[in-house]
Amino acid sequence: MAVSLHADVYIPGQSAVHRWAARPKLLSLLALMFAIATVRHLGLLPWVFGVVGSLYLWSQLPLTYVWRRLPYPGLFIVAMVGLLPWISGETILWQWSILALRLEGLQAAALIAGRFVAILTTGFVLLGTTPFLSLLEAMRSLGIPTLLTDMTLLTYRYLFDLANQLATMRQAMQLRGYGHSRQTLQRHWGWLAALFGSLLLRSYEQSQRVYSAMRLRGYGQHPPRAMTTDAGAERDSLAWPTILTLVAAASVVIWELSLPSL
Amino acid sequence: MHIPDGLLPASVCVAGYAITGGVTWVALKQINKTSNPQVEVPKAALLAAAFFVGSSLSLPVPPVSVHLVLNGLLGIVLGWYAWPAILIGLLLQAILLGHGGVTTLGVHAVMMGIPALLAGQLFQQRQRLGKSLPPKVALGLFSFVAGALGVGISVLIFLALVVFAMPSTLDQSAERGFLTALMVGHIPLIFLEGIFAVLLCFFLLRVKPELLER
Repeated sequence: MAVSLHADVYIPGQSAVHRWAARPKLLSLLALMFAIATVRHLGLLPWVFGVVGSLYLWSQLPLTYVWRRLPYPGLFIVAMVGLLPWISGETILWQWSILALRLEGLQAAALIAGRFVAILTTGFVLLGTTPFLSLLEAMRSLGIPTLLTDMTLLTYRYLFDLANQLATMRQAMQLRGYGHSRQTLQRHWGWLAALFGSLLLRSYEQSQRVYSAMRLRGYGQHPPRAMTTDAGAERDSLAWPTILTLVAAASVVIWELSLPSL
Repeated sequence: MHIPDGLLPASVCVAGYAITGGVTWVALKQINKTSNPQVEVPKAALLAAAFFVGSSLSLPVPPVSVHLVLNGLLGIVLGWYAWPAILIGLLLQAILLGHGGVTTLGVHAVMMGIPALLAGQLFQQRQRLGKSLPPKVALGLFSFVAGALGVGISVLIFLALVVFAMPSTLDQSAERGFLTALMVGHIPLIFLEGIFAVLLCFFLLRVKPELLER
């Protein structure tokens, strides 16, 4: 099941990025990601890669972390921009029969792919150095409604459980003959609808038990727990990663704006 | 219909987040109108997880198989809760699978969530609009239209975004050909989503009709 592939998103560590308080880290790295999304000049990419590469090295995450995760989403970007160098632009760099490699398309593809790798790597730094629960607490402290954070936590909590249930149900279905003999398409689809419907039913029934358990533990009877983060400690703990990241993000935007528009 | 990071200009990503913020406010307002919105939180969360997991199922359509989007169905089953469910599903999808992205999360939510809400509202109108039809026919018809509409509108938004993201250097005829191929390629998916919604709604009607009543 695909969802179990990257369950170990957070990698514990002692780097400065790991010790950076979750709230400023979330805001600073999001600002950097959006700053990278503003880049429209290919010449700015080396600076962007320098910033993101330094951040990654600073976080002390292993290189295998990014290598393992990059190829799968990378397939989507290749599928989306892979054709551009062959169909977009007028300056032909190389030609063989009807195939012509075009400069403008190549530049557009390189820019999109470059932004993609830089933003994704920044995202890996955020997720690889911050436990999911801390991220949710940071979101709640930033004013994200409790209903959303509660739902996120519960969905995340039961995601892997339901993935396992679905795998078991599929195995049971196969043991009973699904996919082994020739069946009509209508029958195939009917079985899959019943499989998915059964999964919804199981989730629904489980949710009623979960709600009863939550009520017994006081859910909904008290205001949401206050943030445990000590504001003073957050201020003292590594304010400079925030400053450095925001300066880097601002430098990308200012540099981009100072270049002639395309 | 995954839009990865880096594909769209920053202005579109920011606009996506702004619209998402507005729709979230409206959806939460509607949810808070119910007598006890917290009762529904575990149900919506677990059903969201089930939809997330269920979207990995592929429907055989020889000679290929197709992954369903299921946003119309989410609207049918969860109503207004479909919006937070989709938002959370997309966030987890970006974090765990690398599908979509963090900067494009807002755009993604608009693309998947608004059609889901529309599909849910349409399905709820079946009692009023379909009262002249036998109940089972009305259920079949409205579940098909809601399931197909959910993904249909998403496809249209996706195509608009692709047009926006295409480089200006692209040849006009190549652009038209690409968009036509993309649109034609999604038509079978729209019908499949509708058919799957009908099959699932009839299954739920047999075993747990309360899941279809809101």
